[in-house]
Amino acid sequence: MSTGAASAAAAPAGADASLRLLKSKGEGLFNFFAGLAILFAFWWVGVYFIAINPATAQFAGFGPIPAFRAVATLWEDGMIQRAAWASGYRMGAGLLIAIAIGVPIGILMGRSRTFREVSNSPFQLLRMISPLSWEPIAVIVFAGWDQAIIFLIAVASVWPVAFATAAGVAKVDPAWFKVARNLGAKPWHILTQIVVPAITLDILTGIRLALGVAWIVLVPAEFFGVTSGLGYTIEDARETLSYDHLMAMVLVIGAIGYLLDSIFVQLIKRYNWTRAA
Amino acid sequence: MRRQRNDDHEDTRLDLLLDNPDVADGLPDPKLIPDDEFDYLGSALKTGVNRRMLLKAGALAALSGVLPSKGAFAQKKLDPVVKICYIPITDAAALLIAHELGYFKREGIDSERPTLIRSWSALVEAFQAHKFNLTHMLNPIPIWMRYNNKFPVKITAWDHTNGSALVVGAHTGIKSFKDFGGKQLAVPFWYSNHNIIAQMLLRDAGITPVIRPQDAKLAPNECNLLVLPPPDMPPSLASKKIDAYIVAEPFNALGEIKAGAKMLRFTGDVWKGHPCCVVVMHEADAMDPARAAWTQGIHNAIVAAQIYMAENRKETAHLLSREGKNYLPFPVEVVDRAMNFYDPAYYSNPPAIKHVEWQQSRINFQAWPYPSATKIVAEELKKVVLTGDRAFMDDLSPDFVAKDLVNYGFIKKALEANPKWRNDLSVPRTGDPYARNEVIVV
Amino acid sequence: MSAAVAPAGMLAFPRLKSAGARRLVYGVLGLSAMLGIWEIGTLFLHLNPGTRTFTTFGPVPTFEAFPVLWGQGKIQSAVAASGYRLGIGLLIAIAFGVPIGILMGRSKRFRELSNSPFQLLRMISPLSWMPLAVIVFAAWNQAIIFLIAIASVWPVAFATAAGLAKVDPAWFKVARNLGARPMHMLTQVILPAITFDVLTGIRLALGVGWMVLVPAELLGVTSGLGYAIRDARETLSYNHLTAMVLVIGVIGYMLDGICVQLIKRYSWHHRGE
Repeated sequence: MSTGAASAAAAPAGADASLRLLKSKGEGLFNFFAGLAILFAFWWVGVYFIAINPATAQFAGFGPIPAFRAVATLWEDGMIQRAAWASGYRMGAGLLIAIAIGVPIGILMGRSRTFREVSNSPFQLLRMISPLSWEPIAVIVFAGWDQAIIFLIAVASVWPVAFATAAGVAKVDPAWFKVARNLGAKPWHILTQIVVPAITLDILTGIRLALGVAWIVLVPAEFFGVTSGLGYTIEDARETLSYDHLMAMVLVIGAIGYLLDSIFVQLIKRYNWTRAA
Repeated sequence: MRRQRNDDHEDTRLDLLLDNPDVADGLPDPKLIPDDEFDYLGSALKTGVNRRMLLKAGALAALSGVLPSKGAFAQKKLDPVVKICYIPITDAAALLIAHELGYFKREGIDSERPTLIRSWSALVEAFQAHKFNLTHMLNPIPIWMRYNNKFPVKITAWDHTNGSALVVGAHTGIKSFKDFGGKQLAVPFWYSNHNIIAQMLLRDAGITPVIRPQDAKLAPNECNLLVLPPPDMPPSLASKKIDAYIVAEPFNALGEIKAGAKMLRFTGDVWKGHPCCVVVMHEADAMDPARAAWTQGIHNAIVAAQIYMAENRKETAHLLSREGKNYLPFPVEVVDRAMNFYDPAYYSNPPAIKHVEWQQSRINFQAWPYPSATKIVAEELKKVVLTGDRAFMDDLSPDFVAKDLVNYGFIKKALEANPKWRNDLSVPRTGDPYARNEVIVV
Repeated sequence: MSAAVAPAGMLAFPRLKSAGARRLVYGVLGLSAMLGIWEIGTLFLHLNPGTRTFTTFGPVPTFEAFPVLWGQGKIQSAVAASGYRLGIGLLIAIAFGVPIGILMGRSKRFRELSNSPFQLLRMISPLSWMPLAVIVFAAWNQAIIFLIAIASVWPVAFATAAGLAKVDPAWFKVARNLGARPMHMLTQVILPAITFDVLTGIRLALGVGWMVLVPAELLGVTSGLGYAIRDARETLSYNHLTAMVLVIGVIGYMLDGICVQLIKRYSWHHRGE
């Protein structure tokens, strides 16, 4: 019974723990790739049936192998990078505007019952208007296409952010406000020290939802005016009937969206402090 | 609130996803009622200024910015730089080449690289918002703009003639327009000469054009029409959703190359030298005597471009294509075929070119806006089947439209300075070249 | 002695005690404010000579367009056509999404393997499927319904899975002890427990499907709300356009409201927390 035995016992325990960690990470990685492999297998089978039918044989370009080859070609040409950059810029600007407008509105909605009740009907109405119906207005009002697209994205994304923020504010324990006021906190302090940290989780969830919405709106918004971006490359591939390029871009869009969404999931996990009952 | 875990490696992602219904529903959480409103603004400012005074001051500031200065009511000022918007079809070639080869510059006019727009509606809206001052539009669109919406525009020239065709799917076995009973025909836009000519051809063959849902029953002499964006036409044909489509080039060429489409008829072979897209300008730009020199220069450039294109077809095709300056994002083979391939021997079965003696081409570049053609378009628009509201056309006489909608002054001067325009064989060989009898022979 | 009149200031506003009445008044107030802002925006359009032609976007021309469109039956037929497509699309989304969600919730293997492909597919912008839909489906309606379904299936599936994850595992043990077979388990334990979450998922799916409907109706159909908007745009009848846009907003609002009522009704098990 000495430190040697104790450390000998500790070492395997430590090794055990890191082994378990490695195993679980390995499992996660395996599942990630296995899942995708199954998807691509289904894809390949589906297109195989299309390809062997002589009537539809010309659509064999939809298959996974042509698509992957096209991804390589497009990457070399720099198409993917340029398109991702252009679309990313529009998405980013649109989301930033949505956050800049949505969070204050959400806080207002959460704190002021009058504002909430007055704004409820118009907001619910505007929220349910399909974002692309705003396109004519965007074309007229904004000087450039980029701005019009950013406007469309912002208009679609502001609602999830605002409502999520409002819900977050509404859930803040009212006792905290009383305590803070008793301790002499001024409204600005209340805002920055209590409200914002408390609702960060909900804001992040709202932004995540907004990202999903913006992602849906981005592609059709880019069909029309611009000559760059992910939606444009899809439209381009469509016009020239290059189906392998089309599927390649579809994959790229999915992958980028997946990446962005995962970032938010990580952020949310980090800020996820559970509210003990 | 402890969460029950199903098993060890619970993925909290599932918890977060759409778990909390209070998120993003915009309704008050029934469990919590927050404090009533708090005067953030007043206390933040800490001065005697209260919210009401602030609002008043803000409103005044906003209003004073809103109230227009005297000049705002005046006409939109002339923008000396030519700003062109276009749809990526070969119809736009004249304007594109005029900019690309510096013809505007030769006239002392600056021009920006034309802006690509993919939908007619967006192009029309941007033009109406004065973001552009020169564009091409389908012939019926300015009629709507001027007489239905009272928006001041003028047609000042023709962009091109011909340049459209009707193709059928290989699976349909259609050999002539009489076979169109019970079939589906796609047009790019209701308010287009494509729609007009297609319906002319159908009626001539005894087929009635109708607009019905896709699965509706069609009488044996009815043909169903629908609108499709041009890029969707070749795939729809290939997947047998439509039996034929009529559209501007290069989508017919694309259909032939990639979707197994067969050319049934070139529109230029039915109506000799017909208009399709026209050059449109704002009325102020077209009619104001103070801007006349500028407008004249524009038209000189357009005519020069058209003459160049008529004599250098292959180079033009290359310049416009992806391998060139990428105005039309298509490979050069497609653009070349779309502009130049018009071989009667190749197109003999079914005979897409019946009037070889007209010596037209797949697309021609002739700018004089014959009043007789405008009259026919105005007349046909009253008869053609479409879904929009057309009541305003009832009181419109074709003669009036031909006189009122089109401004002939500038293009005439430009053509007189460039006699080569008469090389195009849709121009009368004898007599007055500025007046012709429209030749429509199905 | 005559009845005393409230001596309060000029704007003596009776304090509305009933919450319902207050909500109504505030609702009207809110909508009026929106109309006011709309009218001001139109004024801006009018003052600038460059955009004067677009004043038909304003509230007055829009409201004038309603009787016209209703009289022509355009609103009714558009709503019927789009409603059909949306309804079938959502039904398919539910029919596929709920079973997938239950699978995801019950089977760890399935969940882990399906996670990456589902996340990838979910983040593919639904309208990128448009060219594929045109080729694969025989009818335009089917193509549009496919687009709606593929956009809406994900919220339903994931919400169902989340709902299942919250079910107390003790219930399954008890049910098994009492001899429940898997079908019983499904119908008596799982489904009632997850109804609330499934409805939340359906509500989100409705929102997504509604968004996708308008651009999806570019595909060759000559009926529906998206088509009506496009036609109005192409004939430059901007007041018809805003009228149809309002119709879309109102219908969306109503449908969403129905979902919320349903959700509230089934919200029993949250009170336990």
